[in-house]
Amino acid sequence: MTTFYRRLTRFDYLQPASLDEALSMLGSYKGDAKPLAGGTDLIPQIKGREMAALRVVVDLKAIPGLDAITYDATKGLSIGATATVTAVERSPLVRQYYPMLANALTTMASPQVRNRATITGNICSAVPSADSAPTLLAMEAILRLQNQKGERLVPITQFFTGPRQTVLANDELITEIRIPVPPPKSHGVYLKLSPRKSMDLAVVGVAAFVVREGETCKDVRIALGAVAPTPIREARAESALLGKKLTDESIAEAAGAASSECRPIDDHRAAREYRCDMVYVLTKRALTQIKEEAL
Amino acid sequence: MKEIRITVNGKPYELSVRPHATLLEVIREGLGLTGTKEGCGVGECGACTVIMNGKSVNACLVLAPEADGKEITTIEGLANGDKLDPIQQAFYEIGGLQCGFCTPGMIMSTKALLADNPEPSDQEIRKGLEGNFCRCTGYTKIFESVREASRKSRG
Amino acid sequence: MDYAVIGQRVPRVDAREKVTGAAKYAADYSLPDMLWCKVLRSPVVHAKILNIDTSKAERLPGVRAVITARDFGGWTWGFMATTRDEPPLAMGKVRYLHEAVAGVAAIDEEIAEEATELIKVDYEELPGVFDPEEAMKVGAPVIHDYRPNNVSVEYHWNYGDVGKAFAESYIVREDRFKTGRVTKGYLEPPASLAYYDPSGSITVWPAKQSPYFHYRHLAACFRLPLSKVRVVQPFIGGAFGGTKNDSVAGDFCAVMASKKTGKPVKFVYSQEEELSTSKRRHSMITYSKMGATKDGLLTAVQAKVIAEGGAYTAIGPLSMYLAGSSIPIPYKLENFKYDGYRVFTNNPVCAAMRGHGITHTRFAHDLQMEMIAEELGIDFIEMRLRNAIDNPKPGTVYRTVNDVTLKTCGMKEALTAIKEDPIWAQREHTPKKVGSTSFGVGISGTAYSGGARQLGHQACGAVIRLCEDGSVNLLTGATDCGQGSDTVLCMIAAEELGVKLDDVVIKRVDTAYTPCDPGSYGSRVTLLAGQATQIAAAEVKKQLLEAAAKTWSIKPEDIQIRNSVVSLKSNPDKTMTFENLAKLACYSGSGAVILGKGYSSYGLEPLDFKTGSGNSGTSYSFTAQATRLGIDLETGHTTVTDFLIAHDCGRPLNPIGAETQNEGGAVQGLGQAIYEEFVMKRGETLNPTFLDYKMPRSMDVPDIRIIDIITDDPDGPYGAKEASEGSHVSAPPSVISAIHDATGIWFKEQPVTPEKIVKALKEAGKWMKK
Repeated sequence: MTTFYRRLTRFDYLQPASLDEALSMLGSYKGDAKPLAGGTDLIPQIKGREMAALRVVVDLKAIPGLDAITYDATKGLSIGATATVTAVERSPLVRQYYPMLANALTTMASPQVRNRATITGNICSAVPSADSAPTLLAMEAILRLQNQKGERLVPITQFFTGPRQTVLANDELITEIRIPVPPPKSHGVYLKLSPRKSMDLAVVGVAAFVVREGETCKDVRIALGAVAPTPIREARAESALLGKKLTDESIAEAAGAASSECRPIDDHRAAREYRCDMVYVLTKRALTQIKEEAL
Repeated sequence: MKEIRITVNGKPYELSVRPHATLLEVIREGLGLTGTKEGCGVGECGACTVIMNGKSVNACLVLAPEADGKEITTIEGLANGDKLDPIQQAFYEIGGLQCGFCTPGMIMSTKALLADNPEPSDQEIRKGLEGNFCRCTGYTKIFESVREASRKSRG
Repeated sequence: MDYAVIGQRVPRVDAREKVTGAAKYAADYSLPDMLWCKVLRSPVVHAKILNIDTSKAERLPGVRAVITARDFGGWTWGFMATTRDEPPLAMGKVRYLHEAVAGVAAIDEEIAEEATELIKVDYEELPGVFDPEEAMKVGAPVIHDYRPNNVSVEYHWNYGDVGKAFAESYIVREDRFKTGRVTKGYLEPPASLAYYDPSGSITVWPAKQSPYFHYRHLAACFRLPLSKVRVVQPFIGGAFGGTKNDSVAGDFCAVMASKKTGKPVKFVYSQEEELSTSKRRHSMITYSKMGATKDGLLTAVQAKVIAEGGAYTAIGPLSMYLAGSSIPIPYKLENFKYDGYRVFTNNPVCAAMRGHGITHTRFAHDLQMEMIAEELGIDFIEMRLRNAIDNPKPGTVYRTVNDVTLKTCGMKEALTAIKEDPIWAQREHTPKKVGSTSFGVGISGTAYSGGARQLGHQACGAVIRLCEDGSVNLLTGATDCGQGSDTVLCMIAAEELGVKLDDVVIKRVDTAYTPCDPGSYGSRVTLLAGQATQIAAAEVKKQLLEAAAKTWSIKPEDIQIRNSVVSLKSNPDKTMTFENLAKLACYSGSGAVILGKGYSSYGLEPLDFKTGSGNSGTSYSFTAQATRLGIDLETGHTTVTDFLIAHDCGRPLNPIGAETQNEGGAVQGLGQAIYEEFVMKRGETLNPTFLDYKMPRSMDVPDIRIIDIITDDPDGPYGAKEASEGSHVSAPPSVISAIHDATGIWFKEQPVTPEKIVKALKEAGKWMKK
């Protein structure tokens, strides 16, 4: 790099009035168009010259209803693509039925960013440390992807393919994030570790979600952020707890499994050994918190 | 070029903007309102905080066309002639500033915070200002200023 | 002391402009027909420049000028005549990644940015060296031909007999300490608007805390007399030493582009550009050997300091001087040896920053004293009290072995204030462990110099202009870069004259009109510009008292002025307003022009870099700081809950200002102690953003209390000493002392990050079992 940019590159701005119009635009521009919701990730990328081919931004915010947050007792939560992080975090529905998600969202960035950013944008950026991702993974969110030709439902566990890479095609939009109804007797906790108390990317993010039947764990989901090329589910850690009671021993075993399974890199934010150690600590803490909350 | 209509500090404007200009550029260079600052240009410092349709945002992360139809308040829109807004008055009296570069953004975030939560706790003040970086003051008198602003706004 | 204005809690004189957004900073200025300047930087770390082809850039529509090193004719600048090694744009060679290589001026910034991409530079890469100890080794790549061993600055000082003293010591410790790669972190990136008038004069509106340094650079670079270089001071968005005391590539390119085009030219750096390329603090390794008696009295200190200098010398000679010269303060020391090396590396240039030089060795020695105290079983405050220099009695002077002189020293008083405060006194009764968090309380006792004098032209002046209606203008070259000097200088003027603070208006620096002042660094403004202001005000007052004396037919000594009221000392009911006196004086005869001028008179002995003797400042502040923090022993995450800062600044003239300086300095020091570090890989800065260069945010700061220790220094205006840097120096050792209290581990390298804490706990067998 030879120049530090203060200005953006030249691109055109389109504001479709309907979803069909938006999809048609993406379909015709393909990789030269980028959808714009919050812009909190897109604009810094453009400024840093990471979007070389960009010719057009397609602002989704005029599409009616795309920011809806609704809840249905059988279908669960539906978050529209342009619902802001603040709107989701403050939604009484989310706070009542998905408190883990609301808490995770408060750890993101700043009020100014949360007022514009969207969860859709957060997962499309696909940075391994994305703060919404571990919770969505743990709650087994399903993404509705649409393009001109039709739609497909993609479980979030299949969405991320690498750092800043997803299965989303360049003519597709995520229009909806669906989170199933939390089963009865379920508890979830998201813990984020970072050097400061705010404005940091997660060095490690752990979302743990446990469904119990009686005393035993009927379903266990443990998702990690920032410790692999993508946010991941920790299958070995989960199976270490399945069918068991939540005890200090079983929790330690699950934490150990999670820690040994994660594959973080050494980077300027943290070394591999530290991240793995912190996966242990945070997994243990999240599960312990669930154990205590459930009492 | 895109034609947009925005209201800034209560005044309506019809502007011709480049699609790839940011709201920050429009405010500072298009309208000459230089009170809103650029600290980092990527949404990490809050120096460019303005209130757009009632919500605090980083103007550096809003494209000019996205501001079409919106109501924007900048630091210049707070005082009423000679009369300072209670938040400005509080920062002035307590001394919640040094170099002043973060101050407009800090005051706008405070305005948004108090509109949402008129009597914030210490922890809520810290959390409410987490998007605004200050290097000079160590934040201590900024927190005091916000508490005083809350008192002034309520009383 | 019954001062009318001094010591009052007043709003800053510029607070209104700042809270309304009316205050204009460099980037807020525009002129008609203005061009934008953009700097092209090197993508390689260390390389010969073989060729620069600007033809394509010049042809881009909208481009008006392209600047390369050739335009500057080989001119370089530097802190000393023998160290003028820095060119405005890289000349023949680039020595650090992103060093400026060319500049473009265009009708808008977008085109300027685009044009930089069209400049083709051919480089022949050279091997680089990135560690100062590596760079000192034989065979290391040579960065500057005039320093074949890469040692940019070298000092060897010797006082007393350390060898003998160590031999006779009860205990001797040897430790290696290291301060990290940290930077000022101001919010406002460097910027300037420049206009080169075709008649042969320059006017600039730059973000500079030392505008008069900049005006000398421009005069030398563009071969103009100083009288034709005009620096007009905008408000400045933070400075903290280093870059804004100096000139940057953008400055020179903008002026040169203006010269070439006849148009005003503006440049603004991006924050990432600032964090990647700007001058930052030296990182210093201190190999320290310290001896003590069985009772913990220091016998000798031997310090070998190896500082990373980066790619050019800059103010390095002073940095290394300061690192060594204050070793015998604030604790009595008869024997000390200092070997200081500043070494070139292929990294961005290291220069001054708040706490300049002194902070590195103070941190090392404060901590090492505690380590010795621990071994001897002596309480940490007690250890410091036994060694601290006593407050000299009025009329006496304490002199160190290297001829640093103190007339006041509140170190013991400050330590005692902490000792008696519950945070220290009750620490055994506060919870030590809560869940996985271990709490600790730490202490430091440090000193910092104020009223700095360097080499070269260091005098500063002030002019007071009395307007006929009794309002007062203060003109001085002193720069308020946020620290509040405008306010305190107005307070000094108001106090001296006897008027209300509101009646004094300070005119911001404009080198066309304001008298010279070196600028804001080394905590010199209150002391030196303050003295100049006081003298100027006294001169005006003398003339006014003479006018009043004539009118009342009495002697001038019988008259007093206070709160803008003139009265007889013997009969306070006989009064007139200051306004009336001003009118009287000004309208006498066919009119009088009442002016007062003053310039600072102390600071006349030059520093002796060769021996390390003499005063680097006019006085010293003393700070004792207690820190309470909790460390999560599983994650290493640190939460600092409390700072208690007992600060001897002589007398806080502007209490709100002094408090804010203490609070801000301590938080900035906290950043250095546990959060901030440039992570560098072979010359590349991996974290040049606010996201990843982690400065404390609102959620990270502790509750801070300040205790004023009043010593009324005779050399400072109204007893003042520096109040800007003491708490910045006291914070890191205090925090790291607290970390030791919480973990039992001594950390000798800053920053002490969570990762380092966990690593150390593991090595000590203190981390949770897996």
